[in-house]
Amino acid sequence: MFILDEIRIYDATTHVGYGFPKESLEQALKWEPHAIVAQGTSTDPGPFYLGSGTSYTEDANVKRDLKLIISSAKSLGIPFICSVGGAGADIHVEKVLKLVDEISREENLKLRIAVVSGEIDKHWLKGKITSGVLTRKLVNVERFNETLTIKDVDDSIRIVAQMGYEPIVKALDMGVDGVLTGRALDLSLIAALPLKYGFDKGLTFHMAKILECGALAAEPGSGSDGMFGILRKDCFHVKPPSPLRRCTIASVAAHSFYERDNPYMENLPDGYLDVASANYTQLDEKTVTISGSKFIPSGEYWIKLEGVKLVGYRTICIAGVRDPTIISKIDEIIDGVKNLGFKVFKDAGLRLNEDYTVVFRVYGKDGVMGETEPKRGLKAKEICIIIDVVAKEQNIANSICAFLRSSFLHFGFEGRKTTAGNLAFPFSPSDIPVGPVYIFNIWHKIRLENPYEPFKIRVIEFPAKMVREVYG
Amino acid sequence: MVKLKDIVKIVRSKNAGPFKLTIDLFFDDKDKYLLVKNSKTITKRKIAKIYRIPEENVEGIFFVDNVLGIKITIIKKTASDEIYATDVYGAQQHIPIMDLTIQP
Repeated sequence: MFILDEIRIYDATTHVGYGFPKESLEQALKWEPHAIVAQGTSTDPGPFYLGSGTSYTEDANVKRDLKLIISSAKSLGIPFICSVGGAGADIHVEKVLKLVDEISREENLKLRIAVVSGEIDKHWLKGKITSGVLTRKLVNVERFNETLTIKDVDDSIRIVAQMGYEPIVKALDMGVDGVLTGRALDLSLIAALPLKYGFDKGLTFHMAKILECGALAAEPGSGSDGMFGILRKDCFHVKPPSPLRRCTIASVAAHSFYERDNPYMENLPDGYLDVASANYTQLDEKTVTISGSKFIPSGEYWIKLEGVKLVGYRTICIAGVRDPTIISKIDEIIDGVKNLGFKVFKDAGLRLNEDYTVVFRVYGKDGVMGETEPKRGLKAKEICIIIDVVAKEQNIANSICAFLRSSFLHFGFEGRKTTAGNLAFPFSPSDIPVGPVYIFNIWHKIRLENPYEPFKIRVIEFPAKMVREVYG
Repeated sequence: MVKLKDIVKIVRSKNAGPFKLTIDLFFDDKDKYLLVKNSKTITKRKIAKIYRIPEENVEGIFFVDNVLGIKITIIKKTASDEIYATDVYGAQQHIPIMDLTIQP
């Protein structure tokens, strides 16, 4: 194997589609990276995107970022490694591949790309469950079964898994210009090339952990700028290419807090990263050097699965209230409106909490924190009410919301003087059908014998000759 | 006796995945950080009471001396993806922590 003394990775942005300054990329290219990397999958925006098959990023923004990353990597003859598609199932990745096809045509680039699917085949997964492969829920939340069931798999609309670095290394070895993946462990993208060349796993993953959010670990931090990493045998350096930013010991160490449950450790498929013993030194004005991070192997290999199911369809109505009598009696009025509605809906054959749910969200009264609000009660001169209905069908949600809204508008209560209407609607129409609502029903890990097994790899050449053929 | 909000530089809450909430506190002064750390005000028991969860759902409280930072991670009472959720990203759930009284 070709031996490298140091490996340089550029992480171009926090998330594919969040943008980055072109100048940062140009500066980073002068530092001669061995790969350009960016993550583009997440569950942070919630279960909706995995369920609906849509993306939380805009195509134009994703295309702009990928065009710069792919054409720069291609011109330097280095690989690009990006996860794409938001929730990261095949339906999301296919849409991004269409953008890549456009890029290759517009930029006159011939590309050979390995595409690693992050979607889990339901038949494969059910076969694993049936044959007794170990699964375990990842968080102590009651709704999840301790171990995955066939029903969980059947209930879910689609399932993705966070791939490790191994399938990405395999894809890199297919004689390609770069790798695009569906749902992946963010750290895998950055770690793949260094681990292919035998760099230390602890240092590699720690560098990946700092780089994965781009310039968020710099000072000032940014969600739309890049971070450069230089990995050696016994340490690594991190520095942002932007002249506006620098890495400091505090900015880098504090980044280990961001959206993480534990600042010292990071779970990985075959063990965990321990950064408690890491040493941080300020190498120069904008560079921090880190050593001493450790990878602790577990001797097992587990990947994380994510799946969602449909719970219903939502309709909301937003309204304001300014009348002091209504505000002072708001709980009583809401209860009255609900009871009126529940009776009517019951007569229509609808079961509360089975066929529909109703939430009155009152802003101005514990709307943000609910029962954990330390200063409970009402002090506002005006309040905002959101009538939030979720039902098994969209038209049922629409009709329940409409009934509650009109009942509230004309609800009679003790001491009422404002008999023309109780609510101020900012919009017409007042009711907004929001569409399908999803919930995570799989949040488990599964033990694998083989890290490659569920992740299919295709090599696709762009411009695609027969677009229809390639995209099915 | 001092309120935490009067001595902390950054106090923020955010999801760590849809089911966990993590609260970060950063100080710009070692004395202030140590005042809070040594006061033993931030305990699993107190956090459980504030967020109305069982003590076992307070996953961790970390005092990280080299960044003058404190991290508190809990399993949420209402997960981000539930119909009854009020804060999908968990970015506005730090208020009760701000108001903690620190007694040296």
